[in-house]
Amino acid sequence: MSLPPGQRLRSCGRLPARCATQVTRRQPLVVSPCLPLLLLMLLLLGGCHSGDSRTPTDEDPLVISAALDLDVVAPLLDAFRQAYPQIPLRFEDRTTREVDDSVVGHLAGGGVEGEGTSRAPDVVISSAMPWQMARVNEGLARRLNGPEIERWPEWARWRDEVFAFTFEPVVMAYRLDLSRHMLPPQTHGDLHALLATQARWLTGKVTTYSPLSSGVGYTLAQQDARYSSRFWELVGAMGRVDTRLETTTRAMLEGLSQGRYWLGYNLLGSYAMVYAQEHPEVIVQVPRDYSLVLMRMAFVHRDAPHVEAAETFVRFLLSQRGQRVLAGQTPLFSVLPGVTGPYTAARLRTQVGERLYPILPNATLLAFVDPARREAFTDHWRARFQGEQALDEAVERGSGALAPE
Amino acid sequence: MIEVEGSLKRRLGGWLVVTVGVLGLALMVEAWVSSQRAAARAFDAQLQAAALTIAEAVRWQDGIPQVVVPAAALQILATDSQARVFYAVLDDDGRTLSRNWPVDIPVAWQQALDEGGMSRDLTTTLGELRLHAQRVASAGWVTQLPVQVWVGHTLEGRRALARSLFERSLSRFIAMVLLTGVLMGLTMRAALSPLRRLRRQIRGRGADDFSPLAARVPKELHELAQALDHLFARQRQGREDLLRFTADASHQLKTPLAGLKTVSELGLRSSDPDEWRQALTRVHARAEDTSRLAGQLLSLARLRHLDRETALPALDLGELVRDVALDWAARERAAEHDLGLGSLPAEPLKVCVEGWALREALGNLIDNALRYTPTGCEITLHLSREGDWARLSIVDDGPGVADAALATLGQPFQRGGRQDTEGSGLGLAIVDTTARRMGARVQFANRSPQGLEVVLWLPLAKDEQDVTGAFAAGVNPGEST
Amino acid sequence: MRLLVVEDDALISRSLVDALTPLGNTVEVFACCSDARAALRQGGVDLMLLDIGLPDGDGLSLLAELRDAGDRTPVIILTARDALDDRVRGLDLGADDYLAKPFELAELEARVRALLRRSQQRADNRLGLGPLSFDPASGAASLFGEPMALPHRELLLVESLLLHAGAIAPRETLEGRLFGFGEVGSNALEVYVSRLRKRLKGAGLRIRTFRGLGYRLEEDDG
Repeated sequence: MSLPPGQRLRSCGRLPARCATQVTRRQPLVVSPCLPLLLLMLLLLGGCHSGDSRTPTDEDPLVISAALDLDVVAPLLDAFRQAYPQIPLRFEDRTTREVDDSVVGHLAGGGVEGEGTSRAPDVVISSAMPWQMARVNEGLARRLNGPEIERWPEWARWRDEVFAFTFEPVVMAYRLDLSRHMLPPQTHGDLHALLATQARWLTGKVTTYSPLSSGVGYTLAQQDARYSSRFWELVGAMGRVDTRLETTTRAMLEGLSQGRYWLGYNLLGSYAMVYAQEHPEVIVQVPRDYSLVLMRMAFVHRDAPHVEAAETFVRFLLSQRGQRVLAGQTPLFSVLPGVTGPYTAARLRTQVGERLYPILPNATLLAFVDPARREAFTDHWRARFQGEQALDEAVERGSGALAPE
Repeated sequence: MIEVEGSLKRRLGGWLVVTVGVLGLALMVEAWVSSQRAAARAFDAQLQAAALTIAEAVRWQDGIPQVVVPAAALQILATDSQARVFYAVLDDDGRTLSRNWPVDIPVAWQQALDEGGMSRDLTTTLGELRLHAQRVASAGWVTQLPVQVWVGHTLEGRRALARSLFERSLSRFIAMVLLTGVLMGLTMRAALSPLRRLRRQIRGRGADDFSPLAARVPKELHELAQALDHLFARQRQGREDLLRFTADASHQLKTPLAGLKTVSELGLRSSDPDEWRQALTRVHARAEDTSRLAGQLLSLARLRHLDRETALPALDLGELVRDVALDWAARERAAEHDLGLGSLPAEPLKVCVEGWALREALGNLIDNALRYTPTGCEITLHLSREGDWARLSIVDDGPGVADAALATLGQPFQRGGRQDTEGSGLGLAIVDTTARRMGARVQFANRSPQGLEVVLWLPLAKDEQDVTGAFAAGVNPGEST
Repeated sequence: MRLLVVEDDALISRSLVDALTPLGNTVEVFACCSDARAALRQGGVDLMLLDIGLPDGDGLSLLAELRDAGDRTPVIILTARDALDDRVRGLDLGADDYLAKPFELAELEARVRALLRRSQQRADNRLGLGPLSFDPASGAASLFGEPMALPHRELLLVESLLLHAGAIAPRETLEGRLFGFGEVGSNALEVYVSRLRKRLKGAGLRIRTFRGLGYRLEEDDG
């Protein structure tokens, strides 16, 4: 029950399979002592949307608010429509920030305005894991149960309210041109060295996720900073070569393809791998020292107008069938063990080895959205990126959260 | 009559259940409370650790506190059971430095918080929260601004832990109870095995085996075994008595039957009707004696095998005496005698005796008097009260009995020292036996100038001893014949 | 008179037949309850001698059946069980008299005669013994058919003695009848008895005294 926190974190950060053995000790929810709590929650939930669960119609479809490219996820949606033709759904492809806004949008005076637009989405999917976690922690997700939920790996769900259902490695990508001039980077160290030594070639040709204006970029930067203290040197180096900041992987890939960029850092592997198949000039490199893995998280909104349909969708997402589609027809990589297909976490692990560091859905993510911490982090990042060495080492090391843990 | 009342096993089992039930209830309550407490302690410690971790992360820059919430602190807060976490870092004026979702912390709590920290339960819209707060004093060079760190989490973990702790003690307890039950069963088996051995031994006995038990028994069963031995001894004695009596009785019956046989044989040999007649007369007389003897033997046997336990109703001696006298006076056998009733007391005399036995005894006395006195003799029954005793006497004016024979008159097969009569010698023995059973005394006395007086002293019924004249005489004895 | 003997011992029933037939009776013998029951159903029985221990049942239950059916036929119980309990039970069930085996034939004859006489009196509603008779309806006594002029108490005495004809009339009963329950002199009854004795002199009847017990009106054999 009371392992030293550092130990737990380290083991959790490394590999899901091992992590699962750590987390399975979680006790099933006790019914009798929790009854008052459950009743209270039910009352609250009931009060929020007066107990009714509407059936989605064409005019009032199941709304999925997602930070997930529609063309990537289309096979999954098709499979769902095929399985549940009676449930019309609208997939709203948004940025992570828009998705987060949609989660709470109806709460901020939605009742006063009474506009049709300010309703809660039914299902929320986003790769901005800390924000998802924060919303769930605030009680904005519905607890689910059922055989699919029970089969879902313990390490990939939190409170049975939010589910990490993809396994997307974070990769580097470079343009084929790069290899003509230099040895392409395979590790974070290689990249750092390259940025230092090849600044002549690379200035203006490097791109990465913006930690300032993209949730995913921020999350990845935070996680990088937690794993390696040399990350800040990398940031400095990137700043020196005038690295361009993008807010989507797609923009980075297109830049690479068009020749604007030669080297991209922290791209979502799921998109990149598919893209590279069609664009041979783009090479995808999974870092060989360590590779972060992003997991997209889905939950049913507490105030979902179509509770039943929403739960059906998430269950489908987590079911063997849904995960098979995920593994076979999308590059999102299935987490579920036993599912076969080109895109599964298990297969990825055999290909890349044990250096995948998934960002797990747990409470540590909540720290990332702390405004003070975020401000401190982005300030620090900006400073390092812009080459301001004014911040002394003491502050850097002193603010514990910034230092590797 | 053996009544089965419960079973030892069930009784012991019942006690076990009651004891274990009461004890178990107390233990369960204790286990529940202590597991709650243990879970609370464990999780409160985690809350404290999380609060401390956050407090450690507070930095003062130019006298202004800055917080960078450590991710580890939140993981500690969430615990393995994935509780919802809440944290807030406030300054002493209640201004928020950092927090996640809004929880209204009562102002009173904020003001009451000191360096010692505090733990509170708080109900929010998301359910119950366990809060812990820590006050961190700054060591600023310029200003000293204390900071409050509040952390909290939902209670799933505590409940799950408390429950699993409780379940563990419950299962231990159940295992203990089961073990105790099994041990108890085995113990009882062992404890009851001497009884079983005894039962087997007694059951295996032959019907006429009255020898003492040969069994090894524990101290607790010793008395029972001894009582059984005594019972066997008494039965042996009774059986021997019975055998002796039966032998005596058959001897007594054999003699007159042998006489009958010889007389009838002699009569058949003769062809003289006169001799037939004489033989028949003798046969008749002897048959009468024999049947009387048989009747008396039967009475005696019956008296000796009476059930002693039944409580007897009190009956009026006067009524019984008159009834018996009337009965006998009306008989043909009494026709030649003057059988009468002397004075009866005015008030009823109640005695607790078996009516039929007393009738039998009186009948025998009257029969004796009729038999051993010449015709025309007076036989009178008297009844009076003397203190707590009823004095019932049968007086005749016949020849009486030799003084030497008076003492042995009551014994069976004695004939008052007279071998010449045809009596069985049982009549007075019946009287004697009956009297002894009733707690009565029999006296035989010769009268002067002649005659015999047999006196029966009967104890009056207890409640009647001091009551005189309580009953009005309203009995019509004529109707009972 | 038609007599029923229910007795399973052949020797006893034989002697009963031999003893009772010469007295002018028709005696039928049955060895078991069922046969006796059939005979009783036909009716016309004046008296039954009933053994208690029978091969096919208890004589007492036969008696109970009889009385339950309202049959008042006089019954004398014969019992080999020398048990007075049976006697009491039998009398309770409605037997008129009992005899314990072994019994003397003379005793039996006397009881049968007395019982028959009593049932006869019940039948013609007149009391009588030998030449003496009493008509309860008119309250008149007669000797050899001639009315007797008797004082009231002597009449009562005649009636009471005749009521017990053949049996002892207990002293207390007679005193109660003659004098009520008031105080009475010890020899008051004796006075009336001796007066009646004088009147009956030569009529073949005598009144025998049983000391302290009562009186019996009997026919003078000698």
